[in-house]
Amino acid sequence: MSVLTLQNIAKSYGKIQALKGVSFNVPEGSVFGILGPNGSGKTTLLSIILDVLKADKGNFLWFNNPSSPAQRKQIGSLLETPNFYHYLNAINNLKITHSISHRGNETDGIDDVLHKVNLFERRKSRFSTYSLGMKQRLAIGAALLGSPKVLVLDEPTNGLDPVGIAEIRELIKDLNRKGHTIIMASHLLDEVEKVCTHVAILKKGDLITSGAVDEVLIDEDIVEVGSADMTLLKNTLQQYTGVIKLQEENNLLQIIFPKGTAQLEAINQHCFNKGIVLQHLLLKKKRLEARFFELTNN
Amino acid sequence: MLQLLRTEWLKIKNYRAFWLVMSLTALSYPGINYIFFNIFKEFTERKDAAGQIANMFLGNPFAFPEIWRTTAYASSFFVFIPAIVVIMLITNEYTYKTSRQNIIDGWDRNQFMASKLLDVLIITGIIVALYTTLTVVIGVYNDSANAKDKWSLTYYIGLFALQTFAQLSIAFMVGFLVRKAFIALGIFVFYFIILEPMGMGLLKKYTNDLGRFLPLEISDRIIPPPSFVGRFNEEDYKKALDQVNIHILYTFLLIAIVWSFCFWLNKKRDL
Repeated sequence: MSVLTLQNIAKSYGKIQALKGVSFNVPEGSVFGILGPNGSGKTTLLSIILDVLKADKGNFLWFNNPSSPAQRKQIGSLLETPNFYHYLNAINNLKITHSISHRGNETDGIDDVLHKVNLFERRKSRFSTYSLGMKQRLAIGAALLGSPKVLVLDEPTNGLDPVGIAEIRELIKDLNRKGHTIIMASHLLDEVEKVCTHVAILKKGDLITSGAVDEVLIDEDIVEVGSADMTLLKNTLQQYTGVIKLQEENNLLQIIFPKGTAQLEAINQHCFNKGIVLQHLLLKKKRLEARFFELTNN
Repeated sequence: MLQLLRTEWLKIKNYRAFWLVMSLTALSYPGINYIFFNIFKEFTERKDAAGQIANMFLGNPFAFPEIWRTTAYASSFFVFIPAIVVIMLITNEYTYKTSRQNIIDGWDRNQFMASKLLDVLIITGIIVALYTTLTVVIGVYNDSANAKDKWSLTYYIGLFALQTFAQLSIAFMVGFLVRKAFIALGIFVFYFIILEPMGMGLLKKYTNDLGRFLPLEISDRIIPPPSFVGRFNEEDYKKALDQVNIHILYTFLLIAIVWSFCFWLNKKRDL
């Protein structure tokens, strides 16, 4: 079942087309990353699905139904920047979130999320006295209030230190293990690669690709091999059938095959028959970063 | 409705600036009426001929029932103080981007607007309570009139409430459109103190009193000056009294237009 279905969403700001007919589905139980360089339309897209912006064209469905305030109450969201009343402390700000969304319990629920995002000690300090990282953690806490089944997080690790980033990553993984669906926009490829099961890549408002991370990342098979005599190994593999390209990297040889055609056992056998004993043999996944740059031509 | 009220209460309960400006309002309304009262008293208690004439000519605008009109008229000059609160409450939502967070958290856009309408109604309620208390206190202090007439002009409570609500609604609209607190306050106060009185004067001179349709003037005319003013120009004063009813209608229309426009725009525009 799709948690969210986007159908041909388009949005312009004057002459600038921020989104040009974007369509994709977010499967239930996934961690869905929306990737793209700055200005690619990630925040615009999230703003539309949260009813902050109106789409010029297209529509979207939450749980196969048109969007409604009642649905938004069930979704924990962090959009762009932490938006709180600066003169109120964390508890009173979360009371407002609770009063509007009815998510969670006003006392235990608020204390619980404040513990989760490590803000319990500072719960009575005014929001205006918080550091950027603390503001971000409070926003994540507000999104977590009532443990909603769907979370929409726009750049959730913005302003966090490395420990904070790792904590949020673990939190997302943990929520996903418990069956929550998380939709997150980010331009931090490493972060997305570590937590996302699915990804959509945007560039200047166009959807470049979307799908399961493994499907998006793999457009070819890369086999990494190494032996004592690298020259002989290279000469031997040049005659191997199905090879698109051979390239050297860090004293190893990378053999590029069309997607799904590399067979490690056959390569090993081939080399052994030619008198070469392999010291290293590995089917490598392309890194999201490399794939992202390929797709967005950056 | 209760849920909207509760949420708005959570927003203002611990907002010091709100309580500070509300305290200033609570001080300024009695303050201005006290000043007027003292000037009047000083003038009419003079033993010389001018004092005697003033006493005969002015009557006692601070005694029942005339006090209801006098304090309503004097207090109406100070609506810009609660207007500060109204503008602060709406522009804060844009400054902190909580207007969009409230929607993200699950309000629909009409609920957000309705919560702000409640704010304006509550502030109007507080101002009217202040006016009523003040009027009764000054009236009782000055009570020399016969008791049966005491409450004959209490309908000024309703007129004062209508006028305050209409003018605070305009302040709200300015804040809602401008979104920046200082600019919105500047525009409202400049319009309230300088632009509209100037426009009124010019339109009175060069047109057939078209200034009566200026946004604040529409509701200004539902509270005429105290009756002693009529002794300076009886015909003009009678005209002012005759205009009250039609201006009540205009004021209701103005309020409906202002809020319909705000609800419509909030539904249409991106947050």
